[in-house]
Amino acid sequence: MPLVHLQDVRKTYVLGGQEIHALAGVDLSIEEGEFVAIIGPSGSGKSTLMHLLGCLDTPTSGKMEICGHDLSSASSDELSGVRNREIGFVFQSFNLLPRLNVVENVEVPLIYSGMAARERRERAEAVVRRVGLEARMRNRPTQLSGGQCQRVAIARALVNNPRIVFGDEPTGNLDSHTGELILGIFAELHQAGRTVVLVTHDPEIAAVTHRVIEIRDGRVRREYDPRTAPPDAAKIAGH
Amino acid sequence: MNLFISFETGLREILSHKFRSFLSMLGIVLGVASLVATMALTGGMERGMRAFMEQMGGLEMVNIVDKEISSDLLDFWNLSPGRTLQDAHVIKAAAPLVSHVSPQIAFGLSASTADDSLRVRAAGVWPDYLAVAKHEIEAGRFLTDLDVDKGLRTAVIGAAVVDHLWPHWSPQAVIGQTIHLNDTPFTVVGVFKRYERDRDRLARERGTAQAVEERRARRGGRGGGWDPFRTKNEAVAIPLTTMFYEFRSGAFPDDSADTVRLENLSVRVGNLDHFEAALNEMRQALDITHRGVDDFGFDTREDWFDQMEQRMNATRTSGGLIAAIALIVGGIGITNIMLASITERVREIGIRRAVGARARDIFFQIVIESVIIALMGGVLGILVGVGLVQLITLIAPGDNEPLISSFSVLLSVTFAAVAGLVSGIYPALQASRLDPIQALRYE
Repeated sequence: MPLVHLQDVRKTYVLGGQEIHALAGVDLSIEEGEFVAIIGPSGSGKSTLMHLLGCLDTPTSGKMEICGHDLSSASSDELSGVRNREIGFVFQSFNLLPRLNVVENVEVPLIYSGMAARERRERAEAVVRRVGLEARMRNRPTQLSGGQCQRVAIARALVNNPRIVFGDEPTGNLDSHTGELILGIFAELHQAGRTVVLVTHDPEIAAVTHRVIEIRDGRVRREYDPRTAPPDAAKIAGH
Repeated sequence: MNLFISFETGLREILSHKFRSFLSMLGIVLGVASLVATMALTGGMERGMRAFMEQMGGLEMVNIVDKEISSDLLDFWNLSPGRTLQDAHVIKAAAPLVSHVSPQIAFGLSASTADDSLRVRAAGVWPDYLAVAKHEIEAGRFLTDLDVDKGLRTAVIGAAVVDHLWPHWSPQAVIGQTIHLNDTPFTVVGVFKRYERDRDRLARERGTAQAVEERRARRGGRGGGWDPFRTKNEAVAIPLTTMFYEFRSGAFPDDSADTVRLENLSVRVGNLDHFEAALNEMRQALDITHRGVDDFGFDTREDWFDQMEQRMNATRTSGGLIAAIALIVGGIGITNIMLASITERVREIGIRRAVGARARDIFFQIVIESVIIALMGGVLGILVGVGLVQLITLIAPGDNEPLISSFSVLLSVTFAAVAGLVSGIYPALQASRLDPIQALRYE
């Protein structure tokens, strides 16, 4: 049973009386422990796909199963629950809460899973240590560098021990060196056995993964393993 | 997510915007303050009026008064002897539901000692006068049946009379002294308690009475306005029989000690539950002595009490209305600020939703935040209200000390909380309905 299973998934928006097929029939399976990149230019439907996979939205039609939950027509509360327990998000713009310090930011998902205060604090601190920010625990996000912010975001994504970690252009706001370090963390997560899905338009980032899914016009155009695929494949996948 | 977390999150949000939060709670502060102040002032007034009513005889007291007789009975008018001592005797004998009967002959006299004199309105009374007029004895004793039967020259006097004739004497020292009433010597056998309003008692306790008196004197006033207890404090009571023989015999040729016309006839009903029955008993008894002429009526205190209640209610209603308007305005203020704060926090809400907050978690977060603001406003409002009451008593001391009851405090806090709850609902609904994806993209 795959961790993510999409079958003829469509997502249609109505904009100004006109139907827009953001996803026009996607079939996709991701197994537990895979390291996947979803690439495509802007407007390809990649963000829509990522929102569906991240349980922020439900498909217009088709069958969608994530971590054993049938989410084809799930309620808002069900989606919240799955997001909370099974999914970790890392965003391009970090999306930390500016008024909370590092540990408190990491704690937020645990609050919504109803964990007791002391346990929450201990868990959050342990994860912050794992991403190497023990010296910064009481700092606010504004006092941190971009790379440090993204590590806090990763810690927050991991704190509930989710089965899938999503990175939405996780290196987009970072310089290339820091970006590499962050990608290194994702690679480590994969090596530790976690399922990692990166969404990007950058073929170089996609190249560190083990499976690239290329989206074009709301469909899966092709899939390949960047470790064995011909170099031009990466070029085609780009802009 | 439990409520405690919402509480913590809300408190953090409020504390990180101290000035904005303060502004948004200002309306609630004013509302609660005016509520507390109004309730304190009316509470004090009510207590004062009740105490005064109680002092003046309470609900149990009934005055038997003369009444204009209807024109078709005019021919029989001569038949009725009017309000005489006979009435008192017959009520005492035939109306068991009436516990005390107090007939009174009043007479304006000069009361004097060797040093000074004073005009008083002396009352010739029975021993029941003490209970009916709600007098209390400070020193000595009240008149007894013996004083009345023998027509002794004994007198019981009020505190103000003592003040005037024996300045700075203690009530005990006055017992046994001689007081001349129109040159007839009487022995003082008792002194009544001093009756005071809250304001006067406070002034005396704070030692400011002297200053207040001086200020009054400068203004040319004669004692602070209407003092409901003045008559009571200036009372001089002597036995009814003595009053008749010494001062009144001969005023009406037909009068005898048993049939003398009375200035006042008051009774006290033993049990308020049987008030109407007691009135009926009296009416039947008096029909005999008045020979069926309907020239008497009963003046009860019920109307007084009703009027008082109405006045209290009017004050309370207007005060409550002001407070209610202030609370509504305060609530609208909170709604406004919460809506603004949500627009500012769309992204935060998106982030919280993305990591697993349910719509209702967001809803409660916002509602609880506004309830906390309102409660803080409520507590501040109580402090302001207490301060306001202090200020009012300082600037314009009323007849009654304001009364801040725990009930009014509790009520104010409850109103504040409700205002917060209601005003938080709309912003909270807006916040919880945000689409997580849109909210995350919001800049």
